Amino acid sequence: MEMMKHGVKGRQRANPYLNLETYDPEADLMVLNLGPQHPSTHGVFRLKLYLDGEIIVKVVPFVGYLHRGVEKLCEKLTMVQLVPIVDKNDYVSPMMNEQSLVMAFENLLGVEVPRRARYLRTLLAELQRIASHLLWFGAFAMDLGGALGGGSTLFMYCFRERELILDLFEELTGCRFHYNTHVIGGNRHDVPAGWAPKVHAAINTIEARLSEYHTFLTSNDIYIERTRGIGVVDGPLAMELGITGPVLRAAGIDHDLRRDAPYHCYDEIDVRVATETAGDCEARAKVRLKEIRESIRIVRDLIDGIPEGSLNSRKPIKTPLAEKATDGHAYAALESPRGELGVYVIGGGTNKGASPYRLKIRSPSLHVLACLPYILPGHSVSDAVAVLGSVDPIMGEVDR
Amino acid sequence: MFYFTDSLRSLSASMRNVFRKPTTVEFPEVRRDRPERFRASFALLHDEAGDEMCIGCKACERICPSEIITVELVKKESPITGKKRAYASEFVLDTNACIYCELCVQVCPADAIVMVKLAEEPKFNRQGLVLTMERLYENEKLRPLSWANATRLVEMQSPGPASAVTVAEDK
Amino acid sequence: MNPWVRGLIYAVVVTNVFLTITAWSIWFERKFSGRMQSRLGPTFYGPAGLLQPVVDGIKLIQKEFLIPASADRILFVVAPPLTVVLALGTAAVIPFNADIIAADLDIGVLYLLALGSLTIIPVWMSGWSSNNKYAMLGAMRAVAQGVSYEIPLVLASLVPVILAGSMSLSDIVRFQIKHGWFAFWPPGPGFFAFLFFLPASLAEANRIPFDIPEAESELIAGVTTEYTGMGFGLLYLAEYLHTLVISAVASVLFFGGWDGPFAPGLHWMVLKTLALFAGIFWVRWSLVRFRSDQLMTICWRYLVPGGLILVMSAGLWVHFTKGGG
Repeated sequence: MEMMKHGVKGRQRANPYLNLETYDPEADLMVLNLGPQHPSTHGVFRLKLYLDGEIIVKVVPFVGYLHRGVEKLCEKLTMVQLVPIVDKNDYVSPMMNEQSLVMAFENLLGVEVPRRARYLRTLLAELQRIASHLLWFGAFAMDLGGALGGGSTLFMYCFRERELILDLFEELTGCRFHYNTHVIGGNRHDVPAGWAPKVHAAINTIEARLSEYHTFLTSNDIYIERTRGIGVVDGPLAMELGITGPVLRAAGIDHDLRRDAPYHCYDEIDVRVATETAGDCEARAKVRLKEIRESIRIVRDLIDGIPEGSLNSRKPIKTPLAEKATDGHAYAALESPRGELGVYVIGGGTNKGASPYRLKIRSPSLHVLACLPYILPGHSVSDAVAVLGSVDPIMGEVDR
Repeated sequence: MFYFTDSLRSLSASMRNVFRKPTTVEFPEVRRDRPERFRASFALLHDEAGDEMCIGCKACERICPSEIITVELVKKESPITGKKRAYASEFVLDTNACIYCELCVQVCPADAIVMVKLAEEPKFNRQGLVLTMERLYENEKLRPLSWANATRLVEMQSPGPASAVTVAEDK
Repeated sequence: MNPWVRGLIYAVVVTNVFLTITAWSIWFERKFSGRMQSRLGPTFYGPAGLLQPVVDGIKLIQKEFLIPASADRILFVVAPPLTVVLALGTAAVIPFNADIIAADLDIGVLYLLALGSLTIIPVWMSGWSSNNKYAMLGAMRAVAQGVSYEIPLVLASLVPVILAGSMSLSDIVRFQIKHGWFAFWPPGPGFFAFLFFLPASLAEANRIPFDIPEAESELIAGVTTEYTGMGFGLLYLAEYLHTLVISAVASVLFFGGWDGPFAPGLHWMVLKTLALFAGIFWVRWSLVRFRSDQLMTICWRYLVPGGLILVMSAGLWVHFTKGGG
């Protein structure tokens, strides 16, 4: 109890099940609801804070405000119809959702994907990672500095760069967002003529602007003081809660599915995994910025060498009952910008096996949100917002 | 502690952007060009002879994940060739719930439904965004057509040794 | 001229000029911030969007002024106009030219500081009377911040007073005309006094990087959360007005008021005020904010001792140069 009164700092873990009656009879605890409608909870998310003055004593997160019954819908629609539906889970990096789903179906059906499609999927995944991290960075700056202030300036810059990548996707698939470009067995859209020079131009611009962001924000003492030592997630806590992705790597644990369990064409690429040891908000930001640079390097290596061949090993979809699986189960996971995004599918549902019997999506943001009751107590309300921004939850995939 | 010097660097970084050309344009007076494959709304097509291409087979109705298409089939005489063939007597596509996934375009056996590059204008009620058959046939002339139709998509995706068709070759 | 008539004319003219500049500062801020963010800013109403403040005003006026059922009605309704009144009151002693000054008080600086510290009260009133946890958090932070940053503000303002030997603002300007602007001469105390004055006055006005009382990403709208319609408009206006007043006061105390390299006059005062005003917006749209305890650390550990040292050095300078230059 003494520890709570003086605040939990550093790598100590708070007690998320703190009994408030025994906390301090003289403290006048105030309950503040951060959300569900709030300018900066990254979606509809309710965080019930028990405050002693401005210091947080206990945190109770509530999820489920964005539950749309996606997994139930997956039992009704057939496998070929599902790709545009799961696009909307992690609505910031749709390529990852599509790819994890079709990978699971391909494992279930035993379908092999041609090399051209796998190569293209790798390329699109890395471009999507750059776009997603840019969006995160802008939103993080907004959490720190406010929608009317320096944070929104950086937000606009990040979106300006992100539009370059979205323009590339628009040329390839026709949609800036929620592309529906993956199918079981390959991809639906092929590379248009003249795409490669545009990709080069886009990533060159983004790389140049990253150093501007450093001048603007990440080397600024105000930012460093707001993020250093705040919201420390240490390795054991992350492992206990199943946290993956940049949050885990910032805690010092070197784990990245692209290198440790390669899929697509990642076994041919040497992915340099970025890690930090501090585990605080600044470390998570640094990991993500390093990941942008690494993705830029990978895209630059890949874009000029797209192999010849067909884009799909199955015939194009002409009816919803094109793919059927009467039994079996499969799991496929990939490294989304937030962590391990996995899909577990059990075949043999309705429509004579064209629908899955059960589809479970393992979303990384849900596990990351579980760490909040352990790391927030002892900080103030401003820190709560900064920490929530730095762990990058996307409520679409938390609630599905 | 070095708040002043750091702040001066941030100030210079933001001032540099004042002298760059703005990225935004004054929409809707200025519109940007959209790429070839852009998907925004729908159109039903007539063939060269002027006959409606849709045969009312309901393939698009079955594939649609959002279940927004309703098609009714009728067999009648063609006004152009005089032969009896299948038509769609009713075709309703509700863009209120459309997710623009392009699956209906891909499955059409007659290449009848395509997407167009100009989106529907905002309306004040939901009925305004429900595309009836009349509006879908109007869109063929009102809005620029997107590149993709069923044949081209199937060609792009078919398995085979040759590499897929790209937009430039198709022109 | 009858002093009552003179007073009335000055009141009307100064109030109108300040309010008009504040209203068009909304346009300027949105255009300037738009350019900094690589976008266009308002372009629709009027040429280059110049009628945007008019439209914003009309929009706010026609909205319903909602008073929450559990709010303290009197305080809730009185707080916004009180903020505006206090911000405008400071304009009474600012010298715009050698002979254009509404009230040439002998204790001008003291009057300014007194009104500046009074502005904390309506901010607290609006937060407390809203009966809203976010507003109350914002109000408490505002009071802590406002009261703490009074001290560096007073100390920084004392430096020109000591150097000029008078609290009257027009005397300070006349001294600067004779001896040089305080921001640049005497080298040392004057320059650092300006560097301390600026953050202290930004903190008084709750501007970024010290805007934790109305931190939008954390507290929705801070003290102004429950305000709608013209109540919100007045609070918003009062913040810009306070910023304008700070720019005017800083240009009087540190940059020589109506002095200029050639043809001294009203235009120089206007130019300097607007330049500082634009600079404060520039700072707002480029920096992220401090946390409240970091704010307090800066105030009590850096600005207050520094301010004391500055005042001492200003006093020593005056002593050793026998009040001359």
